[in-house]
Amino acid sequence: MAVQIVMDHNGDTRHVFDANNAKELARAEKRFRELTGAGFTAAARTGSGDAKVIRKFDPTSEETLFVPRLVGG
Amino acid sequence: MFGRARDFATARCRELLTNSTRWAKAFSEWFREPGRAREARGINLLREWLSPEQRAQYDRFGYFDVTGCDSGKRYRIRHGTGTNIYEMDAAGQTRTGWCFVPDGYLVAGDVVLAQKIALETDEIGALTVAKHFVLR
Repeated sequence: MAVQIVMDHNGDTRHVFDANNAKELARAEKRFRELTGAGFTAAARTGSGDAKVIRKFDPTSEETLFVPRLVGG
Repeated sequence: MFGRARDFATARCRELLTNSTRWAKAFSEWFREPGRAREARGINLLREWLSPEQRAQYDRFGYFDVTGCDSGKRYRIRHGTGTNIYEMDAAGQTRTGWCFVPDGYLVAGDVVLAQKIALETDEIGALTVAKHFVLR
């Protein structure tokens, strides 16, 4: 199972989906497009523990984190 | 014709009521959940995403260091929700402070994680929106 984690006021909200299920995969891709379209940055972890930004939906990604747009504090 | 209009209005009212109930329930759940549960969730997520070295540093000191992907500079991020990023010099001394945060109300763990990811993947972009502050 793969998971999309969205940072929000609750800490985070997790959307788990089966990448082998076409319907769930389509829903995950739609969520990816909607969130990145709304200004969220999508990131994934590499094997070494570093983060990398994802510009396009990757159906093989086990875990994707969505971070809201940054603003000056 | 009047009957059809009435059915349409009834359906819209029912839909509005259903949505309102759902929003009220979501707000109620958010309001009742202790703040510390949200804070704990943010810290758990942060710890999952830190490298082993960063996690050890964070657990011991309440901060961790990251390397900017563009300049190679080191930054120290302290646990917090603002004015918590310090640029380090070669001697390991803090030189200047930077402040940028993710938009919206987020718990400290999320804020710190967003700052780490930004500096490690898009340092220039992050510093472009950041404001700097003078260290005392």
